[in-house]
Amino acid sequence: MSTSKNQKWVYLAAVLLVGAGVGYLIFSGLSQNSVYFLNVSEALAMPAEKLAQARLFGTVSADGLVHEPSAMGVDFNVLDKDDPSKSIRVTYRGAVPDTFKAGVEVILEGSFKAGARQFEATTLLTKCPSKYEKNARGQMRPPGSEG
Amino acid sequence: MHAISFTALLLSMLAAVGLTALAGMKALKDDYGTVALFEKGQVLLTIVVLAVSAVLLQALVVRDYSYVYVRDYTDNLLPMFYAVTAFWAGQNGSFLFWYLCVAVMGWCMIYTPGYSHLDNRTKVYFWILFFLTEIFFLFALTGPSNPFTKLDPVPADGRGLNPLLQNPGMIFHPPLLFLGYAGYTIPCCLALASRLSGNGREWLDLCRNWNIVAWIFLTAGIILGAWWSYMELGWGGYWAWDPVENASLIPWLAGTGFIHTAIVGRTRKTLLRTNVFMVALTFLLCFFATFVVRSGMIESLHAFGGSRMGIPLLVFLVAGLVLTLYVCLVPRKDDTTSIDDFTSRPGMLFLASWLFLCLAGIVFLGVLWPVISSLWSENPVGLDAGFYNRVCLPLFAVLAFIMSVCPWFSQKSGIGDKAALGVVLGAGAGTAAVVFALGYRQPLALFSAVSGVMIAVSVVMVFVRNKGLRSFMPSWGAYGVHLGVALMVVGVAFSGPYKVEAEAVLTKGQSMAVGPYEVRFEELRHDHGNPAMDTHAAILTVLRDGREVGRLAPEKRLYASFQQSTFAEVSVIPSLGEEIYSTLLGFNEEGAVSLKVSINPLVNWIWIGGTLSCLIAFLCWRKIERR
Repeated sequence: MSTSKNQKWVYLAAVLLVGAGVGYLIFSGLSQNSVYFLNVSEALAMPAEKLAQARLFGTVSADGLVHEPSAMGVDFNVLDKDDPSKSIRVTYRGAVPDTFKAGVEVILEGSFKAGARQFEATTLLTKCPSKYEKNARGQMRPPGSEG
Repeated sequence: MHAISFTALLLSMLAAVGLTALAGMKALKDDYGTVALFEKGQVLLTIVVLAVSAVLLQALVVRDYSYVYVRDYTDNLLPMFYAVTAFWAGQNGSFLFWYLCVAVMGWCMIYTPGYSHLDNRTKVYFWILFFLTEIFFLFALTGPSNPFTKLDPVPADGRGLNPLLQNPGMIFHPPLLFLGYAGYTIPCCLALASRLSGNGREWLDLCRNWNIVAWIFLTAGIILGAWWSYMELGWGGYWAWDPVENASLIPWLAGTGFIHTAIVGRTRKTLLRTNVFMVALTFLLCFFATFVVRSGMIESLHAFGGSRMGIPLLVFLVAGLVLTLYVCLVPRKDDTTSIDDFTSRPGMLFLASWLFLCLAGIVFLGVLWPVISSLWSENPVGLDAGFYNRVCLPLFAVLAFIMSVCPWFSQKSGIGDKAALGVVLGAGAGTAAVVFALGYRQPLALFSAVSGVMIAVSVVMVFVRNKGLRSFMPSWGAYGVHLGVALMVVGVAFSGPYKVEAEAVLTKGQSMAVGPYEVRFEELRHDHGNPAMDTHAAILTVLRDGREVGRLAPEKRLYASFQQSTFAEVSVIPSLGEEIYSTLLGFNEEGAVSLKVSINPLVNWIWIGGTLSCLIAFLCWRKIERR
C-alpha cells in the first residue's frame, strides 16, 4: 500500500473517530437532557405515567397567588395561554424574578406531582421583559394581547 | 410625516424592484454597461432610508406620540439618551436600523478600493443580489414591520422604555448585532456574484475587511449581551443557552469558521466552493436568528409581540438557501480539491472551521429540536441547558487546544517549529499541575484552562520566534484576537464550574456565609429623591477572616412609569480574581431583606478578553490599492 493510501486510511479513521465522539456527545445529550415542552392544556391531556420532568409554559393566574414572605418562593396557578379555564397548581421555592406577577407568561422547569395536578418548579422564569409591551395602566402584558 | 415616510419607503421598494429587473435583463443579454445606474440607485435608496430614519429619530427625541412606535417605547420622563436608543428598542425600529446599516454599507461599498477591482459583470450580479436583500427589508418595513404607523388620538404620555433596557449594555447590544448581521451582506453578495460571473477567488481578498468588521460587530454584540445578562438581569449568569441567545451564536460560529476557511482559501488557493458556501450560510443564519426571534415558532425566555414576519423571513431563507446551493453545487473549472495534509497549518485551520460549523449545527439542532421532535412525538420535546453544556463545551475545549498548537504546524506538512511547540506544551503541563494542586480538578474545566494558557503562551512565542511578524499589523490583530480568546477561555473555565452561590433572608446585623466570605446586612436605605424612580438599597459589608473586603449596595428600583414592577440593580465588588456579586431579591416592612450573593472567580477575564478581541481585530484590516 502506498504512503498516500495509508494516509487516507489514517484520515478516514480520524474523521470516524471524531464523528463518533461528536455523535456520542449529541446522542447522550439528546437522551439525557430532553424534556417535554408543554403548555398547560397539553400537560393536562398527557397520561400521568408519562409526566415527570418538563418545561411548562403558561400565564400566571391572579387567583391563588401566594407569595412566600421575603420573596423566597411563591405558590400560584398557571393558566393555559389559549384556554384560561385550564390550570395547574405550581409550587416554587427560590428567588422570584422581579417581573413575576399575575398575567405574565412564565416558563417553569421542574416535575409533576400527583399526575398533572401539581407542578414542583425548580426554575421560574418570566419571559424576557425586554420585549414586553405595557398597557395603558402601566402593567406588563404578554405580547400579542390587546391592551 | 407618517404618510410621507411610509410612501418614501414604498417608492424605494418599487425602485429597487425596477433596478433588479433591469439588472437581470441586462445580465441575460450580457450587457454590463449600466453599472453606474445601479450605483446611483443605491445612493438614492440610502438617502431615502437616512431621511426616514431621521424622521423617526426626531419623533423619538420630541416624544411625538402620534407614532405608535414612539408611544410604545418612550415617555415624558425618559432621559434623552435612552429616547434616542429607543430607535432600536422595538421590533419595527430595529428592522429599520438593520436596513439602514445594510443600505449605508452598500453606499460605502461603491467608494471602496475593493469595489474598483470588480469587473462590470460581477458588479451587475452583486447589485442584483444586494437589491434583492434590500427589497426584502423594504417589504418588511412597508408591511408587517412598519415603524411609521399613526396613532389617533394622540396620548399625552407614552408607555416608557422598559427599565431593563435602560442600561449601557442594552443600549449597544442590539445595534452591534444588527451591524454584524448587516456586515455579512456585502461579503455574501460579493461571493455569490463572483461565482455567478466566473470571477475566481479575488472576492476573498476584496471582502476581507468587510468580513472582519461584521465579525467584530457580531462578537461585540454577543459579548455585550452576555455582560448585560450578568450585570442587569440579576441572576448572576452570562449565558443561559436560551433559543434567542443561541440564535445569534449560530451565525457567529459559521462566520468564525468562514474566517478560517478564507485564510486557507487565500493562502493555499483552495476551498473556493467551501468559502462561498460558508459566507452565504453565515449571512442566511443571520436571518435565521431573526426568524427564531420573531416567528414565535420556538418558545423562548424572550417574548416577541406579533409574528407577522415569520412567513416572509422563512420565504427569504428558503430562497437564499436554494440560490446558495445552486451556485455552490454547479461545478466550475477552477474548483480544486481541498487540503492535502491535515497535519499542516491549513489542515488545522480547516479542522477548526469544521468544528465551528459542527458547533453551529449542534446549536441549530438544539434550537429546532422542539420542532423536529414534534415529527414523531405528540408533544414537543426540547433540550435544556445541560444538552449544550454536555455537547458544546468539550468541542469548544478541543478548539481551544487546536488554537494553541496550530501556529507550530508548517504550511505543507508536519510540525514546523518543534522547540516552540515544546515550550507551549511544557507551559500547558506546568499549568495543569498548578491548577490541579490548587484544587481545581474538574477534567473539562482543567483541560480548558490549560488550553487557554497554552494559547496565550503560543501567541507570545509566535512573536518571539518570528521576527518578521512583529512589524506586520494584521498579525498583531489576528494573534491579539486569539490572546483575547485565551483570556475568555480561562474566564469561562473557572467562572462556570467554580461559582459559589448562596441565598438568605437577613435582618439588620445578621450575616450569611458565601464560600470563605461573610456577608453582613447593615441597613436598608430608602431614596425617593429621584422623580423617575424610588430606590431601596441593602447595605452589606463583606468580610473575609474577620477583615473587611468591601461594601455592597444591591438595589430594588421602582420606576415611575412601571409602578407594577420593581427591578433589581446588582452590586459587585469587582475583582480580577473572585468577584463578589449581590442581588437584592426582596424586603419587607420590618426591614428584613432576602439576598442572593455569589462568588464568581475570574469572570472579568471574559469581558477583558472579549473587549481585547473586538478592538484588536481592527488591526487585521489590510489596505487594498485602488485599481
